[in-house]
Amino acid sequence: MAERIDVAVIGAGPAGLAAAIAAREQGAERVVIIKRSERLGGLLPQCIHNGFGLLYFGEDMTGPEYERVFMRRAEKAGVEARLETMVLDLGEGREITAASSRHGYMRFRPGAVVLAMGCRERARGTLGIPGGRPSGVLTAGTCQRYVNIEGYIPGERFVILGSGDIGMIMARRLTLEGARVEAVVEIMPWPGGLIRNEVQCLHDFGIPLLLEHTVTFVHGEGRIAGVTVARVDAERRPVPGTERFVPCDCLLLSAGLIPENELSLKAGVELDPVTGGPVVDENRQTRVPGIFAGGNVVQVHDLVDWVSWEAEAAGRAAARFADKGKMPFAGKVRVSPGENVKYVVPQYISGKEDVTLHLRVTRPGRKAALRLGGKAWKRFRSVRPGEMIIEKVPVARLSQFISGGELRVDCGRGETGEEA
Amino acid sequence: MSYAETEVLIIGAGVLGAATARELSRYRVDVTLVEKNVDVGWGITKANVGVVNQGKDTLEFRPEYRRSHLLWRSLAMMEPLCAELDVPFRKVGGWEMCWDMKMKEKLDKLARRTESLGLGKDRFYWYPELKEMEPNVSPKILGGLHDPDIAVVNPVYLTQALVENACDNGVHLMLETEVLDMKAGHHWFEVATSRGDFRARYVVNAAGEWVDKIAAMVGADDFVLFPIKGYVGVLDRRCEGLVNGLVSVLPEEPGDMNIVVPTVEGNLLFGIQLQINRRGDHSTTEHMARKALENARRLVPDISRENVINAFCGFLMLRNYEIGWHECEVGMSGRVPRFINMTIGYPGVSASPGAAAEVVEVLRKDGLKLEPDPKFNPRRKGIPDFSRLSDKEKSELIRKDPRYGHVVCRCETVTEGEIVEAIRRGATTLDGVKHRVRAGMGRCQGGFCGPRVTRILARELGIPESEVTKKGGDSTHLSCRVKDILGKEEGDG
Repeated sequence: MAERIDVAVIGAGPAGLAAAIAAREQGAERVVIIKRSERLGGLLPQCIHNGFGLLYFGEDMTGPEYERVFMRRAEKAGVEARLETMVLDLGEGREITAASSRHGYMRFRPGAVVLAMGCRERARGTLGIPGGRPSGVLTAGTCQRYVNIEGYIPGERFVILGSGDIGMIMARRLTLEGARVEAVVEIMPWPGGLIRNEVQCLHDFGIPLLLEHTVTFVHGEGRIAGVTVARVDAERRPVPGTERFVPCDCLLLSAGLIPENELSLKAGVELDPVTGGPVVDENRQTRVPGIFAGGNVVQVHDLVDWVSWEAEAAGRAAARFADKGKMPFAGKVRVSPGENVKYVVPQYISGKEDVTLHLRVTRPGRKAALRLGGKAWKRFRSVRPGEMIIEKVPVARLSQFISGGELRVDCGRGETGEEA
Repeated sequence: MSYAETEVLIIGAGVLGAATARELSRYRVDVTLVEKNVDVGWGITKANVGVVNQGKDTLEFRPEYRRSHLLWRSLAMMEPLCAELDVPFRKVGGWEMCWDMKMKEKLDKLARRTESLGLGKDRFYWYPELKEMEPNVSPKILGGLHDPDIAVVNPVYLTQALVENACDNGVHLMLETEVLDMKAGHHWFEVATSRGDFRARYVVNAAGEWVDKIAAMVGADDFVLFPIKGYVGVLDRRCEGLVNGLVSVLPEEPGDMNIVVPTVEGNLLFGIQLQINRRGDHSTTEHMARKALENARRLVPDISRENVINAFCGFLMLRNYEIGWHECEVGMSGRVPRFINMTIGYPGVSASPGAAAEVVEVLRKDGLKLEPDPKFNPRRKGIPDFSRLSDKEKSELIRKDPRYGHVVCRCETVTEGEIVEAIRRGATTLDGVKHRVRAGMGRCQGGFCGPRVTRILARELGIPESEVTKKGGDSTHLSCRVKDILGKEEGDG
């Protein structure tokens, strides 16, 4: 027999916690977080660096501190939790099948579901780096867990492929622990993560950042012995003659995060091929009625503060859905990425409410102008793919940008526009 | 000098050595199986794509080749063997396709020959009909010959099961035991290994990639081996269903292999990009990866770069290349008495049951007394695969052992219960766990479960986490405790 609940939240990281709290505050009676591991909370405990909560709390916090606040709030709000429980399937009628060593095998029939599974790191196989298959090749996040949670350091001499935020943060962390980081190798002409991490984690520690370079070969069969690093051309292909051998005993990968949507696919949720996350409306409802999504499962955020905010919106909407039993997909207006815009979330809006647009540019640039529906909205001194642009657009202004059921978003070069 | 004595020493616990050990374990004879690696099935076997019941392709497997007879002999053996050993076996059917009429003529000839040999009648399907069964192959395909008997197994599972069952029936297994030297005496072989010396009456050389080097120790190397490296790509489980069976195209040039094949677990494999290569070098190259993907996309256009989650290279050891493409030998050496070489080249997994039976016959003919062991138990039970159980079975298993409710690997839904069972059956490394129960095999490639499996291995084996390795030897993946590294530097300076 399936257990009836109001809102089921899958995942208990910052997104899951925020969604569950918001759903309770919105009035949902039984809100249950389903969580794989033995405790609530996600990866934040391993993020022992600071920089969390600057926007949300106006305070500089560490990952564990940020999470603790939400854990307390969840407890106070009366959020229920099923720990050590893995969701195996999300099927017809939002029925959830789950397994647990503590609670056995079980089924839930929630009024609404919030997907908050977060994201995973790209592994070596998907990057397709040629070479041997030695030990000592791992993702930056796995390394972070070894160092900060398990208390082990996976090597002494590192090369880091990709300049994602976790990679840069680990470069600093490993240096502080006495290891040597030979280089951070980035295939693009610009770093993948935030400027503040480039400055505080690499430049301040004298760690070389090799832009337009990549690892072309992994040497070693038992333990990794080193990597070949080469420069790449404009098509990102290695330039012959620029290869050099860099000895190392560990290669960290920080080359992209992928929203974790295997369960969403099982539930028939439509994914956006660019974000890798579900196609959502301004309420963060997916194309499957009653299934909402928030946080990194929708789009990979730069800052946890925005993960919390986005998930709160999803949680509130889920509670409303559970209460009324329905909520139409706000699909009147299609938000479409235009010039130099890689993606915009949400993909659909109603046009009848204030909306917060999350977008990333394709290329970095100076003096960029954000245009909505072809009309100037805001000017930026510079934009970078590594920094998400977030704009709140009040409903009063929205109508003038929408034409033919479309809100076009451009972020090319431009001279005119309003200052923020 | 004291020697451990054994009647039959099998060198190499790949699929051939394992099948032979298991076949011999039916009899009251003392058998020792030695393996250089820390686990079984990690040489050529691991890189095999797992297609079995091959042999009806009589262009490739001509009647005059000895290995063809081993394959034909194995045709009826593989499925019952897998059933006895509880090894997943999927009869998926296989296609040999062609692009044009000229290639079709070859296929017609092949079909006629196969039929005349009494191997059954394979039907040719033109593309419109073929499409019904394989809707995702390129419409440029003219048609294909369908062999409904082609099946897939996981070669490493098969090897593990054979070894487990052989050991249950009295075979001695010695891992991390490398044969260093060997002398042939009148009655005994004296074998020096990294784990002490042996005296063996018979030696079965199933050393796979190194079979000629072992043979050369006693002068039984009356053959030349050509190491051919093959690249295989692995696709995400999301691609399940892109092909339903083995899809291959008749080579336009010899050795030009182009196949896409499902595994028993649902991933697809593609390849096999071949090149002559120095032995021991298992590295993949950018060139091989690109070519293999290009070929696969030509055959199944929906395969995309984004869905490649892994790749590996293995070796085919082709024998006497210059006198007969891919000829094999399983039999007594012509030069050294009581020394048996097993050099199948490929497809070793397909031919393994027949080859093992052949070795037993050769030994019997040579005078080895083989009395059936009345205690022989042909059955072995596999590790429960939680993700494939029914709701009721899942529920019961968790009630019996709550560790089956603890999912450790989320990509492949592998539970702690399965991991502990894998360790109980001999996994001592991360790869050992991965190749038994798939933890770390999925799309995140162990990024999430790696630290957790490391912890379980350390706990079950009673060793510190820093001593847990990926695949034995120096393949540790943790260097030391945090802070110890600082101490190290001070010590140096």
